[in-house]
Amino acid sequence: MPETILDIKSLRKIYKDGTPALNGISLTINKGEIVAVIGPSGAGKSTFLRSLNRLVEPTSGEIWFRGQNMLKLKKKELRWARREIGMIFQHFHLIKRVSVVQNVLHGKLGYMSAIKGGLGWYSQSDTKEAIAILERVGLEQELMKRADELSGGQQQRVGLARALAQRPSLLLADEPIASLDPSSSERVMEYLSTFSREEGMTTIVNLHQFDMAAAYADRIIAINNGEVVFDGAPDKLQKQEVKQIYV
Amino acid sequence: MPIHPIYSAATSPSDNAMLFNKYKKAKKAVLWNRALLGVFLFFILLWAWIGTSFQIAELFTGFANIVAFLVNDFLPPDPGAVASMAGPILDTLFMSYAGVALSVGISFFLGVLAAKNLSFHPLCAFLSRSFIAFIRSVPAIVWGILLVAAIGLGPMAGTIALGLSGVGILGKAYADLLEEIDESQLEAVRAAGASWFQVFGQAVWPQFKSGFVTWSLYKMDLNIREAAMLGVVGAGGIGYALESSISLFQYKEAASGIVMIFFLIVIVEFATAKLRERII
Amino acid sequence: MNLDEWKKQKRRTTFFLFITLFLFLVISLAQLGVAPGKLLDSGERIQSMLNSMVPPDVHEPSGVLEAAIESLQIAIMGTFWGVILSLILAVFGAKNLAPHWTISYIVKGFAVLVRAVPALIWALLFIAAVGLGAVPGILALAVNSTGMLIKVYAEAIEEVEKGYIEAITATGASKFQLVMQGILPLITPIFITWSIFRFDINIRYASVLGVVGAGGIGWELVRASQTMAYNEMLGITIVIFAIVLFAEWVTRFLQKWIEKSNVRAFQSNSN
Ligand SMILES: Nc1ncnc2c1ncn2[C@@H]1O[C@H](COP(=O)(O)OP(=O)(O)O)[C@@H](O)[C@H]1O
Ligand SMILES: [Mg+2]
Repeated sequence: MPETILDIKSLRKIYKDGTPALNGISLTINKGEIVAVIGPSGAGKSTFLRSLNRLVEPTSGEIWFRGQNMLKLKKKELRWARREIGMIFQHFHLIKRVSVVQNVLHGKLGYMSAIKGGLGWYSQSDTKEAIAILERVGLEQELMKRADELSGGQQQRVGLARALAQRPSLLLADEPIASLDPSSSERVMEYLSTFSREEGMTTIVNLHQFDMAAAYADRIIAINNGEVVFDGAPDKLQKQEVKQIYV
Repeated sequence: MPIHPIYSAATSPSDNAMLFNKYKKAKKAVLWNRALLGVFLFFILLWAWIGTSFQIAELFTGFANIVAFLVNDFLPPDPGAVASMAGPILDTLFMSYAGVALSVGISFFLGVLAAKNLSFHPLCAFLSRSFIAFIRSVPAIVWGILLVAAIGLGPMAGTIALGLSGVGILGKAYADLLEEIDESQLEAVRAAGASWFQVFGQAVWPQFKSGFVTWSLYKMDLNIREAAMLGVVGAGGIGYALESSISLFQYKEAASGIVMIFFLIVIVEFATAKLRERII
Repeated sequence: MNLDEWKKQKRRTTFFLFITLFLFLVISLAQLGVAPGKLLDSGERIQSMLNSMVPPDVHEPSGVLEAAIESLQIAIMGTFWGVILSLILAVFGAKNLAPHWTISYIVKGFAVLVRAVPALIWALLFIAAVGLGAVPGILALAVNSTGMLIKVYAEAIEEVEKGYIEAITATGASKFQLVMQGILPLITPIFITWSIFRFDINIRYASVLGVVGAGGIGWELVRASQTMAYNEMLGITIVIFAIVLFAEWVTRFLQKWIEKSNVRAFQSNSN
């Protein structure tokens, strides 16, 4: 019996302007799974992912993560839960003009006291760990560069390193390769899947490209109009079904 | 939590240690630079702090006092004072407007002379720039005091002071705008044998117009505030009435004056914004 | 309406606009009693004033120097507190960070009100509230600065893309940590430019605050004008001119230093 890490029950989101983005999504996700969420643009993929760590406040439903309902958490409890959920973004969103190492250390903020974190007094062991992670993603030559001086592919690897610095049990990736060239894309996906398997980390990744999803994911969830229209192993998804999902 | 290779340097501890030291060294260099700047600023601040014998407590008592003072002594504003303040407030408006007209005229002339691409001679440009810079470095209030001494109390001193302070701002702005003008168009019109005035009208004005209008109207906005201050030194307008109310402890009267300045500023800013839309 | 008519109409409105602007100028001049004749009347007075102005002089050089230094110090302290207060308030004034949108409106409304009261009037008010001296000058400049700085800082924060805020929030960082580690580095250039600009403005104000008794060199100028010591007036004006130039030079130097220290720091370790 695989261990469940996420149990999502009839999750809904209606934006303030009345746009219904999620229309009752129920899913369970197991520990260590690599899940690709696919679907056309505007389907609700980003809304779904952001609901999980409450960057978007869902309208109703339940999200059970490590025995707690995320939607019931108070401010501080939410911050504690968020440290265990790493996230990477399409446009990286590294802090400009700040060094690569420091950007990775931002992943440690949730574990630090307000003052130490605010003033950027990172401990020696945290710094060594951040460097070790950067070594793993092949950026040991760029430690002191400003984050905005790196190429897109390198920036996304820093983004990944920042998320890994949180030591997350769940990793969310919102279109992590949509603004990268093919070889950088492959490299990022390679790191993502390797780390997930090594760490037993659960990974949910929004993807545009079906072939990427099929190549790296254990499971594919297709969303359209805020509803799950397919959920299963990549090889179960027929070519023609894929076509239907994207119309 | 089991420590996995991602997080430990287990793969190559020596590499990690080396990188860490390298990072620390580099970081130190950055921190040194910042620290040097920080220390410099810190000592400047310390010097000012001691020199003014400022005390942190005064920050709190000062703000507490002013809030108490404003609430107790100023509120509510005395509506009876509106009538007696109306004259000075209008004077403030007239002074600001006449002042801006004066500075637009002088600045236009000086700005053209100061712009290297339009001026008659580089020396001429240099002299004009220096003159503008000189006027700019003397605050409007100082001009006010000098002019009150020269031509006596009243709005005329204030108007000329505003006109001069405007030359400092607008003269520089115009000259900068004119220097940024696209040269190729100038050349084209010049090559066609146009006179200086034709060049100005055909090639310069279309590019200069929007900046000219924006800056001139901006100075009009600024003038209301400056005019309100000039009165304090006797150069006419609402500032004079305010100062006398305050020195006579008629705070509620002063309060209505301040409210009226506020409305004047809002109205003028609205009007200049509309005017700008209309003209550009 | 065809194009020709439209152009004609536009020309007509422009014409009326200029007529109105011109008439208003005439009215203004008439109301103020400004007339070239008047200026000529005081010609003699100006003549004698100009004569007695040269050579410029300062009566008590040490006193004037002290007052000049005090002006500089008031400007520094006023800018310092203005920047600190504005930074704190701007966090609450920026829509994307404010705990609630009403708080953002309250803070921005406060800034608008503060801006509406000119610096010298603030000085008068603070003198009435806390007495004469440098302290009311400092407080007046600090408050007057917040009117401008809250607005520009808050706008700078509002321009920070939502994604950056999300990225730091997602790590479990607190609001304070978000501001310090995420927002501040992003707005640093704007922050530095405007703070220095404000210092330039404050220098000018600090040199005249003394006019109402709020410390600094302004008082010396008023004293000289009251005793009709015109040569001293010119001398003190030159000192004020020098302070402003000096401050401009220092701020330019600082700006270059900050830029250079950033570039150099990152250059020295990319190898
Ligand atoms: N902040 C927002 N306010 C209103 N509507 C939004 C907002 N964000 C997304 N939406 C809408 O919600 C729907 C789902 O969007 P999104 O989750 O971004 O889809 P995807 O990531 O699959 O492209 C779309 O119709 C989109 O227009
Ligand atoms: Mg999306």
